[in-house]
Amino acid sequence: MYPNRFEYFAPTSLQEALSLLSIYQDEAKLLAGGQSLLSLMKLRLANPKYLIDLGHIADLNYIRQNGDKIAIGAMTTYAQIKDSELLRKDCPLLVKTASVVGDVQVRNRGTIGGSLSHADPAADMPAAVLASGAELKAVHLNGERWIKAEEFFVTTFTTALAPNEILTEIRAPTLAGHKTIYLKAAPRPTDFAIVGIAACLRLGPNNRCEGIAMGVTGASDKAYRPQALEKALQGEKLDFYTIREAAARVTEGIEVNENIHASSGFRSHLAQVYTARAIQTAMNS
Amino acid sequence: MLKLDEILVTRNWVGKPVRRKEDIRLVKGEAAYVDDLNMDCYQAAILRSPYAHARISRIDLTKAGALKGVVAVLTGQEVARETKPISARAITRPATQYVMAADKVRYVGEPVAAVVAEDRYIAEDALDLIEVEYEPLKPVVTIEDALKPDAPLVFEEAGSNVLMHDKMQHGDIEQAYREADLTLKEKFKVHRYSSTPLEPWAIIANYERASDSFVVWSNDQQHGRSLTNVCNTLGIPIHKLRLIVPDIGGGFGIKLALWPYIVILSLLAKKVSKPVKWIQTRREHLLAGSHAPDANVEIELALKKDGRILGLRITDIQNDGSFVHTAGIYGLIKFATMVGCYGIKATRAELLSIVTNKAPTVQNRGVGKPTMIFALERMVDIAAKRLGLDPSEIRLRNFVKPDQMPHTTPSGEIYESGDYPECLRKALRLVGYEESKKKRDDGRKTGKYIGIGISSGVEPGTSNLGYYYTARGLPEYTGNAEGAIVGIDYDGNVNVILGSVDSGQGHATTTAQVVADMLGISPERVSTANTMDSLISPFLGHSGVYSNKFNDVDLGAVIMATKKVRDKMLKIASHMLGASVAELKLKDGKVCLAKNEEKSVSFREIASLAYKRILLLPEGVEPGLKEIAYYKNPIAKLPNREDFNIQLTHSNSVHVVVVEVDVETGTVNFLRYVIVHDCGNQINPGIVEGMVIGSTVHGIGASLLEEFVYNEEGQLLSTTFMDYLKPTAIGVPKFELGHMESACPYTLLGTKAVGEGGSLPSLAAIANAVEDALSPFGVKVTSLPITPEKVLRAVRETKEI
Repeated sequence: MYPNRFEYFAPTSLQEALSLLSIYQDEAKLLAGGQSLLSLMKLRLANPKYLIDLGHIADLNYIRQNGDKIAIGAMTTYAQIKDSELLRKDCPLLVKTASVVGDVQVRNRGTIGGSLSHADPAADMPAAVLASGAELKAVHLNGERWIKAEEFFVTTFTTALAPNEILTEIRAPTLAGHKTIYLKAAPRPTDFAIVGIAACLRLGPNNRCEGIAMGVTGASDKAYRPQALEKALQGEKLDFYTIREAAARVTEGIEVNENIHASSGFRSHLAQVYTARAIQTAMNS
Repeated sequence: MLKLDEILVTRNWVGKPVRRKEDIRLVKGEAAYVDDLNMDCYQAAILRSPYAHARISRIDLTKAGALKGVVAVLTGQEVARETKPISARAITRPATQYVMAADKVRYVGEPVAAVVAEDRYIAEDALDLIEVEYEPLKPVVTIEDALKPDAPLVFEEAGSNVLMHDKMQHGDIEQAYREADLTLKEKFKVHRYSSTPLEPWAIIANYERASDSFVVWSNDQQHGRSLTNVCNTLGIPIHKLRLIVPDIGGGFGIKLALWPYIVILSLLAKKVSKPVKWIQTRREHLLAGSHAPDANVEIELALKKDGRILGLRITDIQNDGSFVHTAGIYGLIKFATMVGCYGIKATRAELLSIVTNKAPTVQNRGVGKPTMIFALERMVDIAAKRLGLDPSEIRLRNFVKPDQMPHTTPSGEIYESGDYPECLRKALRLVGYEESKKKRDDGRKTGKYIGIGISSGVEPGTSNLGYYYTARGLPEYTGNAEGAIVGIDYDGNVNVILGSVDSGQGHATTTAQVVADMLGISPERVSTANTMDSLISPFLGHSGVYSNKFNDVDLGAVIMATKKVRDKMLKIASHMLGASVAELKLKDGKVCLAKNEEKSVSFREIASLAYKRILLLPEGVEPGLKEIAYYKNPIAKLPNREDFNIQLTHSNSVHVVVVEVDVETGTVNFLRYVIVHDCGNQINPGIVEGMVIGSTVHGIGASLLEEFVYNEEGQLLSTTFMDYLKPTAIGVPKFELGHMESACPYTLLGTKAVGEGGSLPSLAAIANAVEDALSPFGVKVTSLPITPEKVLRAVRETKEI
C-alpha cells in the first residue's frame, strides 16, 4: 500500500506530455484517472519511476460529433460517457458499458483512454470499442496514426501503442439502427468481468443478421472479437437454436483464463451463455 | 437484582429509536482513530514470510539498517531473546510460538523482521534490503494434510498437529440412540472467511526512558486482557504499560488478539527516541491479520419417526492455522450452543483443534456459531426431507417451548427467555409461506428454480470467560463483568467513562438513553467518552468490546454507577429540601417533592454543594459527584465439565430466505429475505435493526462470496479486495424485519445480545434455500461458499455443493 518512490509530472499540454514521454519512455507511466495504475503501484506490482498525469491537459476531455462518427477524448470519464446525450442517441453501446464499470467513485475518476491503454484483459470498455468498430488515435511527437480497435489490444496490459505514443481519441461510428448490449458475468455488480460480452447487431427482415460485431472481455489475455462466431451468424436468421449453436464458438481458438474466481471450463461456459443472452437481449432491445 | 422500575424513573428514551449521537462526527471524518492522533512518530514496517513453512537459515539486516532514514531494526531472534512465547489458552499440547518467527516460519505473512524509519515509505524500501535465506519445508495446509500419519509437524514439540482433542458427553446419549427410530449423519465443510473492518490494526508505541515504561495507543478490542498479555510477554509489571484505546473503526472480533503486535511495537519503541507507529495495510490484514478457521463438522441426529430429535453428536475439526493463543477456542464456543433452539436432551461432542501452515485465526463475529448453526440447520432440513416433514414443522416439533423457559441445555447453558415457535410462525407469516411455496412450485413448471430456506438460531452473548477451561483446568478468567464511571459536572450534566470502547455499536447513544431515563433528563445532557485509558478508565480483565456483552455487563456497570450518583444526589437534595428521600422524585433535571413539584433543587444546585460549597453538605456526605461501579453477570457458573454456561445471554432469530437460482450461470438471486429477531428488550430499535441487517450481510458474504483461498503451497491467493469479495450495498436484498421482545430475567434492562445475530442463521438459511431450489436436480449443499461454479458443477455432474 506504499508505492516505490516516483517523480510526478503534471503537464498542461499534450506536447509537453509527449516530450516527457519521449525522454522517459519505458520508465514512465501515464496517469489517466489512476483507478487501476495506482492500485498496482500501491502493491508495488507497477513501479514506474516517472508518473505523467494527463489530468491537467484541457483538450483531452470531450464528446463531439465528427461527421458520421463520434469523437471521444481519451480523458473522458466513464461518468461523462454514461451521461452523454449524444452517445445515448448515436452510440448507446458505450453508454451501456460505461454504466456498469466499477462503482460511482471509479466512474467519476476512471477514463476511457486510461482503461483502453491499460488493457486489463477483464476491463469492460475494450469489449465495447471492439463491438462498435471504433478507431483509436495514437499521437507521438512527430505525428499521429489511427489504430483499429481489433489491432489495439496485444496481450495482458500490452497494447499496440509504442512507448512514445499517447492515446488521445476514440472515434466510434454512429450506430443508429443497430441493436446493442453489454452484459457481464461478475461476482458482484462492481467487479471486473469474469466474462463480458458486447454485441452490436444490424437486423434485416425476419431477424436476419445483416451485420454483427461482438467484443469479448475477461475470457482471455486480451479483449477480442470472436470471428468464428460472427461468421457463423452473419446472414443467418437469428433464432434461439441458431444463436445457441453459434455461441459455442465464442472461445474458439482462444486460450481461456483461469483464476480463483472461475476455472477455464466454467469461464468458457459463461462466455457461451452470456453470448447467447447478449444477442437475444440486443435483439429484444 | 434491581427491578426495571427501580432503575428507570422515566420511560422517555429507553426503547425508542433515538438517532445515533456518533454519526455526525463519524460521517464528517472527525473521529480520532489511532492514525489520526497528532503525534510526531517514526513508522514501522514488518517483513513477512513468503513461505508457509520454512526454516530461517540466515537473516541479515545490515543493508536495511544502513539505508538513509532507517533508525532501528528488529529480528525474530532478538524477539525470542527478549520476550516470552505467546501464551496458549485452550490447547493441551506444547507449542512454542513467539510474536515474531525466530528459527522457523509457520504461515505466509508471519513476521520475521521489522524496520523503523523516518517514514513508512523508507521503512517499506528497507524491507526490500533485508536478506533472508529460507529452507522451505513441506507445508501442511488442509485438515486432511495435517491428520495424515506422516504429516510434517508444524510444532515439532507437540508431536502432533492436533493441539487439542476433547470429548464431552451430556445427558444420556446411549439411551437417545437406543430409543431412536433412525439416525442421520452428514459431513459439512465451512471455508475460511473473516470480517475485515474498515480500519485495520493500528498501534503507536512510545517508550519513556525516564520511567522505563511504555504508553501504547491501539484499537484493541479486548484491552483488559491485552494489558496482561503484553506485560507478561515483555516481562514487565503492569504499571510499566499504559494502554490507550481511541476510536475503533470496526472490530467484529478481529481486533481481539492484536496484542502480539503491541509487543513488537514496544520492542521497536524502546530502540528509538520517538513514538513508533504501525498501521496495518489491507494486504497485511487479509494475509496475516486474522481469519475465522475453516472447519469440517460431522453431525449425527438420533431421531424418532415423528421428527423429534433425541440425541445429537458432533465431531468438529477446526483448522486453526498457526496461532497458539486462540487455537481451540472455536470448537468450545460451538459446543456451547450445539443444540441450537431445540430441546435436545443428550449430546456428545468431539472437538479437535488442528494446527496448519495457514494464517492465524481469532474470534470472528459469531465465533464458530455460524458454522455450528449451518451444520445443525442443514441437518434438520435433511431430516425433514427424509421424514417427509415440512422444514417448518420439524422445527416446531423440536423447539424449546416458551413455557419451558428458562431452559437449561444438557451441558448447562441457560436459555433465559424466548418464544421460538412464535418467532418462526411470525417469519412464515411475514414471508407468506404458503404463497411462496406455490410460487416456487409454479416456477418449476416454467424452468424457474426458486427455493425457500428456513433457519433458526440461538445468538449467545456475554461470554463466561474461561470456557476454554475444559481442556486445561482452572482458567485465568471466569465470569464476565465491566466497569463504568458516572459523574455529574458543575452544571448538572452527566459524563460517563466506560470500560469498553465503541467500535460501531452506538455506546454513547444507548448509554445516554439509559442514563437519561435513570435521572429524568434528556440524552443531550449525557456525554460518553469514547476512549479507554488504563490509567484512568474503570476496567477489568474482561473489559473490551466483544461477545455482545455491552447490553448486559457494560450497561450494568453504567446503571450501578448512575444509581450511586443518583442516591447521593437524592441524599443531598433531601438535606436541601428538608424532606426525606422517599418523598422526592427526579424530573426534568431537578429533584423535587413528589407532592409539590414546585419545591425543587436542580442538578446544578446539588452539584454546587457537592463540588464547591462543601460546607453545606449534609453530615457524613463526601464531596464530589462521581461514582465508579463494576457489574458482573449474575448467572455465570464456575468452570465444571458437567454443568457450565459458556455464554450468559441467548437471543434467537429465524431467517426465511427465498432465492432463485439461475441454473445456466449458477448465480443465486434473492427474492425475499425475512428476519424475525428477539434480543429481549431493545434499548434502541434503530440500532438493533442496523445490527441485524449488517450482520446478515456478513452472513450473505460468507455464504456466497467471501473466501480465503489457499493453494497447495499454503500461499493465500485472495490478498486484496479484488479477490476477497465483500458484499456491497449493490446486490444485497431488501430485508423484511420482524421483532419480538422476550425480556431477559437476568439482565438489568431485560436485554440480550445483538450484533452477531444475522451472521449466524444466514448461512444455513441461504444454503437450505439453494438446496430447495435445486431439488429437481437432487443437489445437496454440504459446503460453503455457494459459488456459481460450484452450483453449475453440482447441477450438471456432482449433485453436491
